[in-house]
Amino acid sequence: MQVQIHELVGAVHEAAWLPWAVQYFFLIAISVTALLMALPGFLSGRADQLPRARLALMVAVTTGITAPIALLADLHQPFRFWEFFVYTHKTSWMAWGAWVVPSYVGLTLAFAWAVHRPGFASLGREDWRFAWLFRWLSLGGESNWFARPLGIAAGAAALGILVYTGMEVMVVRARPLWNTPFLPLQFAATGCVGALGVMLVLERALCRAPALEARLNRQLALALAVVGALGVAWFALASSGLSPRHAEALASVAGFPVWYRIATWGALAIAVPFVLALALPRNTGWVTGLIAIHAAWMFRWTVFMGGQAVPKVGSGLYDALMPAGLDGLMGVIGTFGLWIFLLIAYTTFLPWQEAGAPQDRAHPATPAKSAGSF
Amino acid sequence: MDATRRGFLGAVGRVTIGAAASVAGASQSAGAAGAAPDDSGHRPHWGMVVDLRKCIGCQACTVACIMENDVPEDAFRTHVSVYELVKDGQDPAMVMLPRLCNHCDNPPCLPVCPVEATFKAENGEVLVDASKCVGCAYCVQACPYDARFINHETQTADKCTFCFHRTSVGLLPACVETCVGGARNFGDLNDPDSEVSRMLRDNEVSVLRPEMHTNPNVYYIGLDDVLDGRVAGEAAYHAEMVAGPGHDAAQHGEGL
Repeated sequence: MQVQIHELVGAVHEAAWLPWAVQYFFLIAISVTALLMALPGFLSGRADQLPRARLALMVAVTTGITAPIALLADLHQPFRFWEFFVYTHKTSWMAWGAWVVPSYVGLTLAFAWAVHRPGFASLGREDWRFAWLFRWLSLGGESNWFARPLGIAAGAAALGILVYTGMEVMVVRARPLWNTPFLPLQFAATGCVGALGVMLVLERALCRAPALEARLNRQLALALAVVGALGVAWFALASSGLSPRHAEALASVAGFPVWYRIATWGALAIAVPFVLALALPRNTGWVTGLIAIHAAWMFRWTVFMGGQAVPKVGSGLYDALMPAGLDGLMGVIGTFGLWIFLLIAYTTFLPWQEAGAPQDRAHPATPAKSAGSF
Repeated sequence: MDATRRGFLGAVGRVTIGAAASVAGASQSAGAAGAAPDDSGHRPHWGMVVDLRKCIGCQACTVACIMENDVPEDAFRTHVSVYELVKDGQDPAMVMLPRLCNHCDNPPCLPVCPVEATFKAENGEVLVDASKCVGCAYCVQACPYDARFINHETQTADKCTFCFHRTSVGLLPACVETCVGGARNFGDLNDPDSEVSRMLRDNEVSVLRPEMHTNPNVYYIGLDDVLDGRVAGEAAYHAEMVAGPGHDAAQHGEGL
C-alpha cells in the first residue's frame, strides 16, 4: 500500500540540550583523553615522553576546569546543582556523572599540582616579587611521591568519565542516533583526536619541536584511523541490518540531503588530516591540529544538535542552527574564551616546562631542567 | 440530520458522565491527594482512551490545557496533530491525532532523572516535582513521545499531569472536559465498570510507539499504523515560515 502523508498541524520541539552541552562533551572528552595520554610519561619518568606529557597535562587541566562550567550552564536551574549530591538517583547515568566529574577534576588538579610542586618550591626559593606566592603554592615542601597514586586515581576517574558520558547519551532509546553501542567508543576516539589536535596546535605555538610535532601527527593519524574504522563499522552494521539499533539510527536520517553532506564532511574531516599527518608529519601541525579540533567539535555538534533535530513523532527535521545569544554562539565563544584564558594563565604562571616524573618517597624531588629539551 | 446530532450529543453525554462518575467515585475516598485506595482497597489507575473517530481537530483541548495549566508560549502539554493521508491514490483523508504524555507504566523519563524529581504517582500519573527539578532536560530527551519540554518561565521540566489538581478533587482533566466531540475519555482503568475499561474491551485499541515497550496509559481507537511512530511524511514546519521572505533561512531539514 502506498501512503502519502502531509503534516498539516504539528508542534516543533526546540533542542533541550543547548550548545553548552556540545561544549561540555567536547571539552571533557579532550580533557580525559589528554590526561590518559599524560599519565604514561609522568608515571614512567621516561625523559623522551615528558615533553608530550607536559602538553597533554596542560590540555587536561585547562579543559578539565572549563568543561564543568559549560555543563553547569546547560542546566536550566544551575543553582540547584547541589541537588545532584543530595538526591542521587542510582538509575541515572547523569546522577553518577555528578559524582565522577568533580572527582575527576579534583584528582586531575591535585595530580597537576603534585607534579608541579618541586617547580613551585624552586620558584619560591628565588629572590623575586612573587616568591611568596609560589612558597604558598608549594605548601612549604617539594616532595611529590604522592603524584603517582593521584595520577592513577585521576586516570581511573577519567575512564569513569568516558564510561558515563558515553552511556548517558547511549541509553536514550528515544533518540535512535544516540542509541547505538558504538557511541561511547566514538566519543572516546574523537576525544583523542581533539586532544591531539590541541596538543599539536600548542606544540606549534609554544614548543616548535619538529620531532614532537611528527610524533603527535603520527598519533593523530592513528586516532583518526580508529575514528574512521568505527565510522565504517557503524555504517556497515546499519546498512546491512546486522544491528537493528544502528539500522534504526541510519533510517532516522537517511533521505535528508543535509545528512549526506554531513557524512561527506565527516569523511573529509577524517581523511584530509589523516593523509597530511602521515605524508607530512612535520610542519603541518597547525593544519592537522586545527582540522582535528574542528572534527571533534563538529562530531559532537552533529550528534547533539543534529540528533535533537530528528523528531520523535513528527515529520521532517527540526532546525539545529546556532542561536546567537547566551544559549548559543555567545556561550560557545565564552567557553572557548575561558579555556584560552586558562591556557595563557597556565603557560604564564606555572613552571610547566619543568614538570617531571614524581620522585620516590625516600628521595626529595627536583624540578626537571628540560625546558629546552623538546 | 437531527437524529444523528441528537444521537451524537447523547453519546457525548454518556461518555462524559461515565468518566466523571468514575473520577468522582475515586475522589470521595481519595482525599486531596487522590491516591489512597477506598474502603474496599480499590486504587484508581487513571488512563485515557482517545476515540479518533470523534476528534474533529478543533484544538479546544489544546487551548483548555494552556489556560488551565498556564502553559507558556511556544510549548504544549497537549495538542492535536493533523495529517492528510492519501492511500493508493484515493481521495485524501484528514486524520487527527491528539498527543499528550502517555503516563507510561514503564516511563523512560523516570529512571534517567538524576534527582528523582520525576516520579510515578500512586494513581499512575507521571509527575514532576518542580521544586526538585534541576532543569537538566534528560527526561525531555528520554521521552519517546516528545511530550516533555523545558518551561522557560519555571526553567524546569514540564508536561501533562492528567490535570492532577483537578482529578484530585473529582474533576476531569481540562482537555477531557472541553473535548467537543467526546473523543477524549478519562477514567479508572482498574475499574472494570468504568467507561474507559468498557471502551478498551469493546474496541480495537492501539498505543503510540509500541516498540518502545513503555506500557502507555493513553489508548487510541482508530489509529492508523502509519501514524503510531515517527510520521514519515512532509512536515508542516518549514524554516522559511519563521524567517519570512527576504531572509536567507535554511530550508527545512537543511539547518544543521
